[in-house]
Amino acid sequence: MGLQAYLTLAAVVFCIGFFGVITRRNTIGILLGIELMLNSVNINLVAFARFSGDVTGMVFTVFTICITVAEAALGLAIVILLFRVRRTVTADHLDLLKG
Amino acid sequence: MTFDSGMPLVVELALFALAVVVLLMGIAGRPYLWQGPRSGPVGVAGGGPAGKAIGWVALGGLVAIFGLTFLATEGGSVLRGSFVQDSLAIFAKRLFIASAALSVLGSLTLPHASFSRRAGEYHFALIASLLGMSVLASARELVLLFVAFELMSIPLFLLTGFLKREAVAPEAALKFFLVGTASSAVIVYGMSFVYGVTGSTTLDAIPAAMIGGHPLMRLGMALLLAGLGFKIAAFPFHMWAPDTYEAASTPFVAWLSVAPKAAGFIAIIRLFVEGVGSAALVWMPAIAVLAGMTIVMGNLMAIPQQNIKRLLAYSGIAHIGYMLVGLAALSSSGVAMMLFYLVAYMFGNMGAFLVVEVVARSEQSDGIDAYRGLAQRSPLLALVMLIFLLSLGGIPFVAGFWAKLYVFWAAIERGLYGLVFLGAVLTVVALYYYLLVARRMYIEAPVRRDPVPVPGLLRAAIIVCVLGVVGMGIYPGPWVAMAMRVAATLF
Repeated sequence: MGLQAYLTLAAVVFCIGFFGVITRRNTIGILLGIELMLNSVNINLVAFARFSGDVTGMVFTVFTICITVAEAALGLAIVILLFRVRRTVTADHLDLLKG
Repeated sequence: MTFDSGMPLVVELALFALAVVVLLMGIAGRPYLWQGPRSGPVGVAGGGPAGKAIGWVALGGLVAIFGLTFLATEGGSVLRGSFVQDSLAIFAKRLFIASAALSVLGSLTLPHASFSRRAGEYHFALIASLLGMSVLASARELVLLFVAFELMSIPLFLLTGFLKREAVAPEAALKFFLVGTASSAVIVYGMSFVYGVTGSTTLDAIPAAMIGGHPLMRLGMALLLAGLGFKIAAFPFHMWAPDTYEAASTPFVAWLSVAPKAAGFIAIIRLFVEGVGSAALVWMPAIAVLAGMTIVMGNLMAIPQQNIKRLLAYSGIAHIGYMLVGLAALSSSGVAMMLFYLVAYMFGNMGAFLVVEVVARSEQSDGIDAYRGLAQRSPLLALVMLIFLLSLGGIPFVAGFWAKLYVFWAAIERGLYGLVFLGAVLTVVALYYYLLVARRMYIEAPVRRDPVPVPGLLRAAIIVCVLGVVGMGIYPGPWVAMAMRVAATLF
């Protein structure tokens, strides 16, 4: 399989994630979409690194994975906080701030 | 890997040390965190350093580090050119640190008990974010740029939701978080293409690849521009700003509305302008369209706002558009005038937000109606607010006028007449809604007659902003010269 196959896979995963971010009403679903978007980046980076024989892309991937984890941790913490205060995690119900 | 010298990192090391000190002071002040829940009163600042002291340490440290930036030698670099201390980096760091110090000065008197009890966390997160910005300003390598961007962003989400028991804070934090992480994903997806095409993660490789015009490179740079558009809240990517501003504490918002956006602009300059030369002109139409849309939509959406923080949020979006006008010129003078605009915007916008904090504390309301008859109640405060609003609106002899004029000038040099015309027309619209606030202050009758109390520390922060706005307005020469000198190194 050539580089193109991996890039296409990454693009598909990215688009699925983006679609999820836009269409999901549950904030956890949106978070999952963002995770997919970030994972497609890893596929891209590893594929580019593998096909150019350059290790930097792999190192970049390690950094993005770490940061993704930090983001997911904070995001879930905010969702839990929101549930405690408001008893809902549905995006449609988050309408105190408007205008 | 060789460490040429530790000196270029001196500002970052000092910020890191300050963050650790503040965090440890915060832990020391809450013995129940390490002695178990029974040993100390929960919810009260314990035997250790109180919240105020932590704030003062953070403020003193930031002022000292601001002084330290004048000792930092220009032109140094470490980690094989990944981290450079050039004049742009030093300029940006001074802007970030000065605005952070003003924000800390404003937040020292915040009445909410959380700010005193969890002052260690608040200031730690703020300084950590500042550290991220500071590294970002120096980063000339994609991995470092991305890590710095995230170090800047993640504490901002946390600070937005700082008052975690209030209904609006987690909502604003979640909205900011979702938009922020989604835009980070777009940015890093763009970076992966740039890496793939150039085969290296240093920014030095970008100009050649841009001239090569590989389609994947175009795609990568477009994704980067879109992702950074979210960070600076340019038009189609602006929705998070008003909600976040409305819910977060005002002195923090004053900083949030300036420093992270300045950081976004620095990243754009590093990626699209520095060393790229005429190859960057491919991006001129895209940036010009972004600028035009941002100016129009920001100003139009500001008109119906009844909440002053939302009004300033939308007007801030419009100001981002004006800065993009300077950037769209993609010339040395355009970038210089954009940097000048950033400084003028920092003083004017932070000052306005700090006055909002003063009024909100006395009236318990962020509504525009709270400003009714302010001129009769506190003439000086009303005058100061008027100066900030006029500066934001672009009236002569305050900083904002020169900023707009210079930005337009730079754009005209490049033949962007349509964009300048649009910007000039929308300036009138902006004046309309700024003067709506001024009308409430000066013409309408006050509901109450007692003067608005101004806490001493907030007064100090506001005075600094007034001096900045008026000083830049009367005597813009040195500031322009400084901005020109910084921008000249980029071309």
